[in-house]
Amino acid sequence: MLEDVSVRLGDVDVLSAISLRMQERRVGIVGRNGSGKTTLARIIAGLQAPTRGSARIDGDDMARDRKSALRAVGILFQNPDHQIIFPTVDEEIAFGLMQLGHDRDAAARETSAILSRFGKSGWHGAATHSLSQGQKQLVCLMAVLAMRPRLIVLDEPYSGLDIPTRMQLVRYVDAVEASVVQITHDPDHVRAFDRVIWLDEGSVRMDGPTDEVLAAFEAQMTAWGQDDDLSDLAG
Amino acid sequence: MISLTSPVETWAHDVPAGVKLAALSAATVGLFALQNPIWLGVALVCAGAIVLSGGLRFARAAARSLRILIPFLALIAVWHGVTGQIEAGLVVALRLLTALTLANFVTMTTRLTDMVAVAAFLLSPLRRFGLSTRAFELSIALVVRFTPAIAQKGGLLAEAWRARAARRVGWQIVMPLAAIALDDADHVADALRARGGLDQTP
Repeated sequence: MLEDVSVRLGDVDVLSAISLRMQERRVGIVGRNGSGKTTLARIIAGLQAPTRGSARIDGDDMARDRKSALRAVGILFQNPDHQIIFPTVDEEIAFGLMQLGHDRDAAARETSAILSRFGKSGWHGAATHSLSQGQKQLVCLMAVLAMRPRLIVLDEPYSGLDIPTRMQLVRYVDAVEASVVQITHDPDHVRAFDRVIWLDEGSVRMDGPTDEVLAAFEAQMTAWGQDDDLSDLAG
Repeated sequence: MISLTSPVETWAHDVPAGVKLAALSAATVGLFALQNPIWLGVALVCAGAIVLSGGLRFARAAARSLRILIPFLALIAVWHGVTGQIEAGLVVALRLLTALTLANFVTMTTRLTDMVAVAAFLLSPLRRFGLSTRAFELSIALVVRFTPAIAQKGGLLAEAWRARAARRVGWQIVMPLAAIALDDADHVADALRARGGLDQTP
């Protein structure tokens, strides 16, 4: 749930007065580049405190109460290279578990459990550096899921992946029990979702059932595609 | 992993890291006690035999990583040749070569995580003074993770340069590389924060 969230960077309003209440299992957030989608994702995950307002999950403030936030929300960054902290797959997955208070042995057990649940027991001890982009993204997903948050925020998780890799990852994400908020510029990625929110220039332009919002979004995107707003410089 | 651990599994991979490090320390102290070049020569042969026990491929890789010593050995030879203390030079060179052969053997047969665990154990008295060894463990992991990542980004910048310039890659890529490293640091900070930061919740 978001309450009157605003974010200013310098004198630019990145997000202005956004209030949302989300209960659906699958919510898509669509918008153009620079519409504030990633900032919104960071706010929901509590990585950034809004200039005004607050992001709460079941009453806990995500930016202030980081302990509760860890159990409430996990985030998958757009670029897995920005997310992976450790040199091996095991360490990467075990880290979050230890942050939740598991000791080393328990974390190792849980790590094995999640690897085998995904049929990736062969990845034990593999170097994260040598993985393909899709494999890295899957490691990030497993690391987030291992912490069992109630909500998972995905920020453009499929950008730069080829079609088969994307389809495989989508299958993993579809099977996720937790609620999912997925940020994307591609309407196809959220077509099967329960609700879609269209973000434009830092405000909610439209919010509702997936079909309606996506139809309007696509029409507008195509119309803008005929224009030449690439010429406009910011500021 | 980019660490120096050898992918060729040897018997020594199964020996606990603490035991290997303790034996290495003892052996190094012993080497300093030996003053006779003949005994040092025997020690070097023994060290060589230990490395060879890991197989030919393993020994070849070990020899490769010791090549970095050649300039130092040459320097010692020249210096002692000039000053006329051939025997002293031989002692120093043999000692250096033997000690590093053994140290390299331990490095190649020990996983980094085990090495870090030993270091953390040795540092554990510091915890009593309220210092966190967790930060130390984390920083080692970060170095291992990001050294190849930053090297790769340097390579990409150099490629971007070569794509549009015939001249050799210049110092101008240092600044953007530094900026990229700082940017990466920001992202890691975010990734750490997303999963609870440095403090462990009980």
